[in-house]
Amino acid sequence: MTLGAIISKIQSSHSYKRASDQLRYKRQTIAEWLPTLPGLPYLYISPFFILFGIFLLFPTVYTLYLSFFTYLGVADGNLFEIQLGAVEIAIPRIANLEFAGLSNYERLLLRDSLFHRSMYNTAFIFFVQVPLMVILGMATALVLDAKFIRAKGLFRTLIALPVATGLVAYSTIFLLLFNDDIGLINYMLESVGATAIPWLTDGFWARITLVIAVTWRWLGYNMIIILAGLQTVPQQLYEAAEIDGASRWQKFRYVTLPQLRPVLLFVVVTSTIGTFQIFAEPYVITGGGPGNATITVVQYIYEQAFLQFNLGYASAASVILVTMVSILSILQIKYGGGED
Amino acid sequence: MREDTRNKALWKFGSYIFLLIVTALVTIPIYWMVVTATIPQSEFFSWPPRVIPGTYYFENLAALQENTNFIRSIGNSLIIAISYTILSLLLCSMAGFAFAKYEFRFKEPLFYFILATLILPIQLLIIPLFLLMVQFGWTNSFLAVILPWAANPLGIFLMRQNMRAIPDSLLESARMDGATEFQLYYKIALPTMIPSLAALAIILFLFQWQAFLYPLVILQEPEMYTIPLALADLVGAQRVYYDQIMVATSLAIIPIFVVFLTLQKYFIKGILAGSVKQ
Repeated sequence: MTLGAIISKIQSSHSYKRASDQLRYKRQTIAEWLPTLPGLPYLYISPFFILFGIFLLFPTVYTLYLSFFTYLGVADGNLFEIQLGAVEIAIPRIANLEFAGLSNYERLLLRDSLFHRSMYNTAFIFFVQVPLMVILGMATALVLDAKFIRAKGLFRTLIALPVATGLVAYSTIFLLLFNDDIGLINYMLESVGATAIPWLTDGFWARITLVIAVTWRWLGYNMIIILAGLQTVPQQLYEAAEIDGASRWQKFRYVTLPQLRPVLLFVVVTSTIGTFQIFAEPYVITGGGPGNATITVVQYIYEQAFLQFNLGYASAASVILVTMVSILSILQIKYGGGED
Repeated sequence: MREDTRNKALWKFGSYIFLLIVTALVTIPIYWMVVTATIPQSEFFSWPPRVIPGTYYFENLAALQENTNFIRSIGNSLIIAISYTILSLLLCSMAGFAFAKYEFRFKEPLFYFILATLILPIQLLIIPLFLLMVQFGWTNSFLAVILPWAANPLGIFLMRQNMRAIPDSLLESARMDGATEFQLYYKIALPTMIPSLAALAIILFLFQWQAFLYPLVILQEPEMYTIPLALADLVGAQRVYYDQIMVATSLAIIPIFVVFLTLQKYFIKGILAGSVKQ
């Protein structure tokens, strides 16, 4: 007999069938039993949580801790050692610190004029940039959403292109574009008879340059979000308004705007958080100058922490920044969110 | 009635003009980058400036490469961004799968706890992360840049939301067929999640590709520089090589543009994913 015939004979035998049925049955019961296995979901989530704990949770808590200390230098010794039989666990000290109480906060809030300057600059960018971008993004999205516009895809793609540019990459473009002497912008201004603007050498204009740059980078991003929001406005509302003889403005004011409220709130909150975190743009385009006229809070934190190694002091500044942004976002959500 | 149609025509005309102006303002800087990257530095200072791209791109590229070894930075950026994306996709999809399809103790509190950390900005973490990496001896290593945000709160949120759509009956029948629990994850959950994974991959890749502040703190050796660091270094140089800066900028931007144009659907899905209301 050939091998194949032997195998088929075994498989057709009664005892083989019973064994394989039993095996299948076993598998099923195992499968039923497995999902309730207490450890399994934890196996799935533990890699995430291990990294999450080490690199996100611990640093957050440690920043708060560090903000009450003065940093003296890198530490060598261990914080504590535990002897568990043959295993020895040693937690190294992260840094040499000296307790400073609230003095970091006191100095930052009351006496550090450069910190106040950076706060002012950041707030300036926030107050000018966020309304400008929300209005521009809204207008662009509304126009693109109109029925009669052709080549919508092309326009949308072109306006959204900056979304794909890196922060430093686009900043270098703006650095050269707004160069006082050889930049394209001043050339165009002069060629139409206007006077050149000191984009980077005057404090006020340098801040405006940053506002323009940030708006350029994020306009398409916000436009896409608002466009998606516009798709969710029920068409019947417009039809009903039209029957009532509503004008274009009335339709916008009483249909579009209220319906778009959650989306606009999202845009405003994320833009707020974004403007308070600005770093790459001033770092590349203005270098914080002229005369600290464009230094932002994050830039100040970077300089304090990594150029002067005042890590405790810089941590306190981070905590103040995050607290401020959180309060601002909560206020926006509270007063901008309406009933929901 | 005639007044009305004239008004409408005027409105249409105005809308197109507005759209054209916005589009021009957005695209001119990019076009200008292409022009300046393709002409020699000597013509850069000519007055009036050039408006038509030249043919000097590869000469500028060669000068850039000689000056800064920019190709190495591209390689560094690719290694960091790709391994970060893969690692983070793996962690987020696994954890998201558990949160979407299993019951376990502390499931809800754990999930909402992660969501709450979505608001924590990078700046809050940079100082302790730096100290941590000094302790680990990981400064100037790719690992120090890749690991910290691999456990991405936004990623786990998106994965959990999307994986809830996988029908339980599908998983059940696979279990009946004898699939192990881990096979359910990589043979059923992952393949059905490819569009969401692609959208998340784009978010993660872009985040790492253009990360600046944290790599600036961690990677101090020029050989380890990523593209943004190398670019910033070029700008900060004593003599400003405009042509080289623009070639470098084009190298940083154009590949992403190509990806953007081909994967636009996922890009937009990714942008919108960040704004989903629960």
